[in-house]
Amino acid sequence: MEQMFKRLLVYLDGSEDSMSAAMASIVLAKQLGASLTAVYVVNTKALLDLVKAHIFLDAEQQEYQRDIEGDAQRHLNHVQKLGRKKGVDITCLRREGEVTKEVRACISEHNIDILVLGGLSEIHSRRDELLSDTDRMMRSASLPVFVVKDNDDVWDMYESLEDIDGEEMYESR
Amino acid sequence: MNLGDVLHKDLVKVPLTGVTKNQVIEELVDLLVTRRQLPNRDEILKAVMDREHLGSTGLVDGIAIPHAKTDAVSEVFVVVGVSASPVPFESQDGEDCSYFFLVLAPSDHASAHIEILSAIARTTASSSFKRILKAVKSPDELYELFID
Repeated sequence: MEQMFKRLLVYLDGSEDSMSAAMASIVLAKQLGASLTAVYVVNTKALLDLVKAHIFLDAEQQEYQRDIEGDAQRHLNHVQKLGRKKGVDITCLRREGEVTKEVRACISEHNIDILVLGGLSEIHSRRDELLSDTDRMMRSASLPVFVVKDNDDVWDMYESLEDIDGEEMYESR
Repeated sequence: MNLGDVLHKDLVKVPLTGVTKNQVIEELVDLLVTRRQLPNRDEILKAVMDREHLGSTGLVDGIAIPHAKTDAVSEVFVVVGVSASPVPFESQDGEDCSYFFLVLAPSDHASAHIEILSAIARTTASSSFKRILKAVKSPDELYELFID
């Protein structure tokens, strides 16, 4: 049978759940012999919306954009290092725009066949379902989605993979 | 992260007793500091006031979203209050404000901060939400409004 999943995409948003998703995707990529791409979307759409709504000043928008870009780079670097430690090369992408739209574009451009997401937020209300980017992504994805929920198990799975370069890991946060 | 993750009943106050902009902001900050036993009350307050001095966070229809990025907190917090009577807040439409959403986040939680501010902005822009909001009489009712 042809290998089902050859190209994995993991979505990062800086949360602990998305870092667990990254570790799970490294384990999956290693075991499946699949390629792995990580994407972090700088949500410039939300920033612009906040300026339009006069919640943010222009200067604030720029400052937050720099902060998010810094967050994005830091998390992508960390994930790349996690992958390298286990012998998994990760293509890291930083994109800007509306999160779900950018992730969909990334899926299409890179012929991704499975999307890996961190645990969904607990549903507190019907309103929440409409507001979470991760929820939206899972609902609108036209490909299989792997949702990572148990962080401790994921950590154990990741640690059970053999280290390749023996690098000392650093704490990212 | 969504709004439900950071909205907690004990960080909702109805009614607020402050009658000026500064008093309302202090009341919201004090509620947070007391409930979460945070040690940096003055630093948090200064961050919010500093942002407010750059331009009012009073929007339209009686809603204000004071906010600040400050490392005096270690996670994203939302504190909600409804004042007993409208408070002058130099808002965009010139109307006094009654509904306050204080949002605080540390500098390394920028994405979550943006997501929460956007969620509040989208929610409070709904005219049906605003209609129901005006009928709120207690912290429980306000909390339920977001959670139901």
